[in-house]
Amino acid sequence: MSEPILDVRDLNVWFELPSGRELHAVKGVSFALGAGEVLGLVGESGCGKTTTILATMGLLPSSAEVSGEVRVDGADTLSGGEDSVRAHRWTDVAMVFQGAMNCFSPVRTIGDQIVEPMKYHGLAKGDAARQRAGELLEMVGIPASSAQRYPHEFSGGMRQRAAIAMALACDPKVLLADEPTTGLDVMVQAQILELLSGLAQSLGLAVVLVTHDLPVVAEVCSRAAVMYAGQIIEMGAVDDLYHDSHHPYTRLLFAATPSLLGDDVVASIPGTPPRLDQPLTGCSFRERCDSAMDVCATLSPALITVGAQHSAACHLNAVTSDRGTRVALDGDVTPEALQ
Amino acid sequence: MTDRTPPTSRAEHDGAHRAAPVLSVRELKTQYPVHRSLVGRLLGQPKRTVHAVDGVSLQVDAGEFVALVGESGCGKTTTVMSILGAVKATEGVIEVNGTDIADVSSRDMLSIYRQMQMIYQDPYGSLDPRFRIRRTVEEPLLVHGVGSSKRDRTRLVSAALESAGLRPADLYMDRFPHELSGGQRQRVAIAAALILNPALLLADEPVSMLDVSVRASVLNLLDTLRRERNMAVVMVTHDLSTAGHFADRIVVMYLGRVVEEGPAKEVLRNAQHPYTRALLSVVPQPDPRDRSTPQTLTGETPNPIDIPTGCRFHPRCPMAQEQCRTIDPTLARPASVSISGHRVACLLAT
Repeated sequence: MSEPILDVRDLNVWFELPSGRELHAVKGVSFALGAGEVLGLVGESGCGKTTTILATMGLLPSSAEVSGEVRVDGADTLSGGEDSVRAHRWTDVAMVFQGAMNCFSPVRTIGDQIVEPMKYHGLAKGDAARQRAGELLEMVGIPASSAQRYPHEFSGGMRQRAAIAMALACDPKVLLADEPTTGLDVMVQAQILELLSGLAQSLGLAVVLVTHDLPVVAEVCSRAAVMYAGQIIEMGAVDDLYHDSHHPYTRLLFAATPSLLGDDVVASIPGTPPRLDQPLTGCSFRERCDSAMDVCATLSPALITVGAQHSAACHLNAVTSDRGTRVALDGDVTPEALQ
Repeated sequence: MTDRTPPTSRAEHDGAHRAAPVLSVRELKTQYPVHRSLVGRLLGQPKRTVHAVDGVSLQVDAGEFVALVGESGCGKTTTVMSILGAVKATEGVIEVNGTDIADVSSRDMLSIYRQMQMIYQDPYGSLDPRFRIRRTVEEPLLVHGVGSSKRDRTRLVSAALESAGLRPADLYMDRFPHELSGGQRQRVAIAAALILNPALLLADEPVSMLDVSVRASVLNLLDTLRRERNMAVVMVTHDLSTAGHFADRIVVMYLGRVVEEGPAKEVLRNAQHPYTRALLSVVPQPDPRDRSTPQTLTGETPNPIDIPTGCRFHPRCPMAQEQCRTIDPTLARPASVSISGHRVACLLAT
């Protein structure tokens, strides 16, 4: 991969609970992506995927403690706190929030709201800003004249497009999209996904697509990271994740997802994810795993390289790969696993 | 020769000793008047109507699992709500176990509700947060006066929870909804719906709010229960993959009408209606090697106030021809289709 546009290294997030306990929501998450790439961040509710991207944007509440490094086009954004993040937010890294289509103010026109981030960052104002709002709407497939319309005059799909236009207002390099198609119909979902991958291509935008929906990831992403209990447990090309999975959770998650014409039995994964406000020993997935071994109860598996651009955090890989054995049992994250 | 059987005919159904269907809906229409302001009325704005359901016929047999699919606004939820009597049907006949519910007085509706239960989409909203699980599941018994004593009812509640997969029931009885996961809550809703042993279960997107890893368990549970109890299930869903895996029959709706129906696998593998084909083409596949070539339709479903003339799908149909603008197609089995029960409302499907 060429120089990454977004490089997240060893990101950790803790929340302090009212009870005084700490909840370790994101544990050592690292990923990087280049221009024009769409990376999927998949997992079930509570796995830390949204927290990961909110931390990347520096948008977590002050009760959250964040460690790690986020580099956008080489610049370290998080280390200086809010002051250093603010300069990059929306101009370098923008976000389409979960349910963004419902976040427009009902009493102001769409155009007015798209203009806002440009004004805030002093990039454009007046007619120039309005002109740019029209161009942005055209870019997402809405006629520029619609800028004068109010959110209630837009359908759900159009509002979602407008939310994407708003995210692109300051010409960011990175777009973080949190469940951008949840709540939309399949037909509209297909249109939005087509739009996102088109924008990634045409603008050279690095897109992180956060979703719980594996087929959506398979459809638009080249690579994906699967998260479980705050950790990335497997990361690689989507084709490898499906056909050559190296983690039981990824495999079981695919088995729980029905395909349109397949006759395979759709099986659920028994049990529930572990509580993150209590100390965990061993592998966080072992209680639901169909291949857990003794070692899984005591040692937390590290994310190790299992193939080209493919890494997984599972002791089974250590058993099968001689090279990986020591690395995995040491519990260290190898540098090559992060590439 | 094209087989243009009217939708109400049972001519295509096989089996001579067939029992009466558990649910029979004929030409159901549910309309809502559009609100006009006083000023609007004085200015003589025309009365307008939302045709949410516009002539739907549906038959469901005992033990049959039917999926009602379509995009939002196609009338699938309104159809179910009309069957349930939660929304008043404007026209048409709804029969539950042979009884026309329009003939039943509101007092006697209780006996109909005993045969027909509903599971809602949101298990976070559908359970009363202040009720212990025991009370939520017991409530139908109290409403219908089932169970002679507290002990008797507790026994029934316990059995219902266990059959919904919450075992041992004692562990769940005295807990509150907030102590349970989404999947467990939906099982509680299922237990409450099944405690009266209904003949028909209506489910509106029962798993769309649940995590992928537990969806299959809830759907497998519904599947097992309907087989064990010979219960009919009508599930509203927008997820064609799920419909294909769990339903016997798929009914595709568009703008208040059924546009295609048939055995689930047949509809998925041999879709005849251009709308069904377009829908199928945009379903994302878990295997990246099966990436679809989406036929995205332009625009969105027109609003059900001004329904297009002729075939209601023609403004978005990639194959529309002149006749489609004027002729409203009826549901029939095209000659090229050999599977009985597979019917399509399209002039071009021959």
